[in-house]
Amino acid sequence: MILYTPMQLELVLEGMEEMKKPEVREVDVNGVPALVQDEGLGKGKVVKLLSTDPKDYMNPNLIPGASVSFYGDTK
Amino acid sequence: MTQEHMWEPGLFPFEPSHPHPVHDPDKPPEDPGRTDRPDEPNRQRVSGKSKATMESVKELGANNVPEVRSNIHCLSIVGQIEGHLVLPPQNKTTKYEHLIPQLVALEQAREVEGVVIMLNTVGGDVEAGLAIAEMISSMSKPTVSVVLGGGHSIGVPIAVATTTSLIAPTASMTIHPIRLNGLVIGVPQTYEYLDKMQDRVVRFVTQHSNISEEKFRELMFRTGELARDIGTVLIGQEAVDAGLIDGVGGLSQAIDVLRAKIETSNPMGGHVQ
Repeated sequence: MILYTPMQLELVLEGMEEMKKPEVREVDVNGVPALVQDEGLGKGKVVKLLSTDPKDYMNPNLIPGASVSFYGDTK
Repeated sequence: MTQEHMWEPGLFPFEPSHPHPVHDPDKPPEDPGRTDRPDEPNRQRVSGKSKATMESVKELGANNVPEVRSNIHCLSIVGQIEGHLVLPPQNKTTKYEHLIPQLVALEQAREVEGVVIMLNTVGGDVEAGLAIAEMISSMSKPTVSVVLGGGHSIGVPIAVATTTSLIAPTASMTIHPIRLNGLVIGVPQTYEYLDKMQDRVVRFVTQHSNISEEKFRELMFRTGELARDIGTVLIGQEAVDAGLIDGVGGLSQAIDVLRAKIETSNPMGGHVQ
């Protein structure tokens, strides 16, 4: 991977070593499959959508970082 | 209330076989979307949740006012363009894996007629940036980019990928060579690899703007302008003079250009809002 940026790479990549891999799991958020980071029972933060429907990516409630609640989980 | 109902924008009432509105000589020309004939339904885009709305009227006594949605969509690309590597949390990033399906949705949605891309980026992953740029340049709908603040490094191909590119008078674009980060296994091989990566950017920019390859490379390798690097910073009009960007402008110019493009590409149908 090549980063093409005028910012100093030390600034961009600072803290890279301490970064933990987030615990993610695959759940179904109102019919949209997504990878979420757990935030308690039935709640989580969207890391990435796994849906193949492009319309799901236009949903402001499902952008990466949004908190969602879900019921069915496919752990 | 389920999520599916929230995402059904379109024509209301929906008629799949509805023909394009035919020009009526009696109709005033400045308002082509309207029709006064009683047999034709009023073609107005509403984002309604008909079933959910009925339910909320019944259950709660609350009525959702249908909102009229824009035929133009705005996509903002800010911070670092995050590619194959998740960047540390102090970076503001635009995730390309989320942006690409959004571009697919915009291209496919019938009610979207144009896209404005607001750029304020410090660059980022070469592959991710070029992927976004290629997606934008291959869209059939009119697109306009506005460089606000900065459109540096890999932001340059994204800015020029649109049908028309604009830059705010105070916005800047840094053009500099791709630098090495990572392991050097062999010097000639690494050099060749970097050169190839750089060629991809140069080729894309020269194909999608009026700048020549020689001029772009000259700007890229100019010495004495940047404190920590070789290269050039172009501010507002300078980017236009170099042939990189089509014009200096802001929000109103971007919307005007987009409206004109929508009208020329779709003179019969459409609903100008």
